[in-house]
Amino acid sequence: MNVEPLLKVENLVKHFHVRLGAFGERTATVHALDDVSLDIQHGETLSLVGESGCGKSTTGFTILNLHRASGGRVIYKGQDLTLLDDKHMRPFRRDLQIVFQDPYSTLNPRMTVGEAIGEPMLFHKLAAKTELNDKIAALLQDVGLPSRFASRYPHELSGGQRQRVVIARALACQPKFIVCDEAISALDVSIQAQIINLLLDLQEKYGLTYLFIAHDLAVVRHISTRVGVMYLGRLAELAPRDALFEAPLHPYTKALLSAVPEADPVRERNRKRQILEGDVPSPLNPPTGCRFHTRCPIAADICAKVVPEWKAARPGHLVACHAVNSSSA
Amino acid sequence: MTLVQTNPTIGDEQDRPVNLWRDAWHRLKRNKLAIFGLGIIVLLAFVAIFGPYLTPYDFLSQDLQARNQAPSLSHLFGTDDLGRDVFSRVVYGSRTAFLVAIVVTAIALSIGTALGAVAGFFGDPYDRVIMWLTDMTMSVPNLLLVVVINASLKTPIARWMEAQYMATLNPFYRETIWIDFLLVFGSMALISWPPYARLVRAQVLSIRSRPYITAAMALGLSNRIIMMRYVVPNALGPLIVAVSAGLGTAMVLESAFSFLGVGVNPPTPSWGNMISDGLRVWQHYPHLLAAPAAVLGLASVAFSFLGDGLNDALNPRGTK
Repeated sequence: MNVEPLLKVENLVKHFHVRLGAFGERTATVHALDDVSLDIQHGETLSLVGESGCGKSTTGFTILNLHRASGGRVIYKGQDLTLLDDKHMRPFRRDLQIVFQDPYSTLNPRMTVGEAIGEPMLFHKLAAKTELNDKIAALLQDVGLPSRFASRYPHELSGGQRQRVVIARALACQPKFIVCDEAISALDVSIQAQIINLLLDLQEKYGLTYLFIAHDLAVVRHISTRVGVMYLGRLAELAPRDALFEAPLHPYTKALLSAVPEADPVRERNRKRQILEGDVPSPLNPPTGCRFHTRCPIAADICAKVVPEWKAARPGHLVACHAVNSSSA
Repeated sequence: MTLVQTNPTIGDEQDRPVNLWRDAWHRLKRNKLAIFGLGIIVLLAFVAIFGPYLTPYDFLSQDLQARNQAPSLSHLFGTDDLGRDVFSRVVYGSRTAFLVAIVVTAIALSIGTALGAVAGFFGDPYDRVIMWLTDMTMSVPNLLLVVVINASLKTPIARWMEAQYMATLNPFYRETIWIDFLLVFGSMALISWPPYARLVRAQVLSIRSRPYITAAMALGLSNRIIMMRYVVPNALGPLIVAVSAGLGTAMVLESAFSFLGVGVNPPTPSWGNMISDGLRVWQHYPHLLAAPAAVLGLASVAFSFLGDGLNDALNPRGTK
């Protein structure tokens, strides 16, 4: 992969400072994101998976500068986005869009669907007032809604319809890159499939690049080009989809994949599951060394002391584990 | 929240754009007390606007042969100790009351909204300074502040106006009523804005953390547009309720100040100074107290009912 990536994330760090105790007398740091590096290639779908609270969404928010990074860089078109204030970030926001998890709360209840979609087009001067209605209708058609929905209010729509509106609103900016932050998690399973197919169609039509944040491994396997696995604020493994699902290297990835049930009952009965001991440690006080060492079945002494290097085990297959040797290739 | 399963490409419901404001109006219409209040307010406002065409007498014309008359057909609310028609004076008093209520509420609302929005939206250090200012203003006893302002500023301003008149002979400077209005409006607005500031700040704080604000930021919209199109419309409901209540409060407040002699001065009729005058002779001529007091009470109750009704109507998730 020597093509210049669309977006480069280098050693991204996000720490939240919180106050604890009845009077906020103690402060603590939530290590939401530590040292995350990844490239996002043109036209790919890069998925991030992991348990709740592992930093998947924080990664998306920090890349888009909706959370201010505590360290590291996000390079887009040669510009480090983490250095930009709100005003200078605005021109980039057009290219970098996001679809949120909850379609109920991400639409302004006082704006009609048409206004919600038209607003960014007018603001970024992507449409003249005269052609606005046609463009709104075209976008609604793109996401499979009839154009008369433009005069509806969000509370009149179902969850799936709202998520389509949210997608249309993101498309209104004519973006190159969309973060889908658990974009389907709040929806019914039947609707999820519709939205996923919609996202795939739109990707093809507009040449979009997705950062797909999810916890449903079946969906991730269906749509991804590459998959990143996160654990407690760090990337554990990042590999092309088939390599990750067929030949995972990191013990956490193996455990995660072994939790996916099989559809075939016979295979499901004989399936070997690897149950992890204990709970995810608190991000307030993450373990030293490899963050996974407290639960890792193959942990050695070094794992508690040294943070494993983020290295390529095979070409394009990155992993952070002491037990995996880096490739000489 | 229920997921309505409709085929998104068909959509068979009727295409009626359901407006949240229209919904609120439907709920308000069902509230009898609120509609009663609204009716009284509309009536009083009508009387205030068309007062000069409705009054049988001039509010200043004295008829010393018909002093302190009981209510009759020729004088609906009787006459006062100078033989002035009380009904006419009450009608003119409603003009003062509405003028004061609207102007004071408008000024207080502007100050409160601007400060509250800045405090809520931009946070510290603006928040800290503005809230400190708000608390400080609220901690000063209202009446004391108004009395101090009136006592200390009235004479210097009157003297300045007199000097201006001498210098320019512009008749505008002879109208001492402007001093009254300036001081009454100014001092009342000065004590009335903190509740609006606090309300707006609380609203903005709660709305600012809603996901649709993050979404608007992610769309790259400017702070001004986010404020005007996303924050303000969603903060408006409770503010409308507060304004409705505030208008009634301002009327009562003006009457209280007039009653104490720091409001609009005679001979300009104000319900407050009519009550004050009537109180001295109420044992002999109760109508002089009853008429303005009843109208003031009615106005106050009407605004209060309307405010309550609006509160319920604008909260679809309320208990009713």
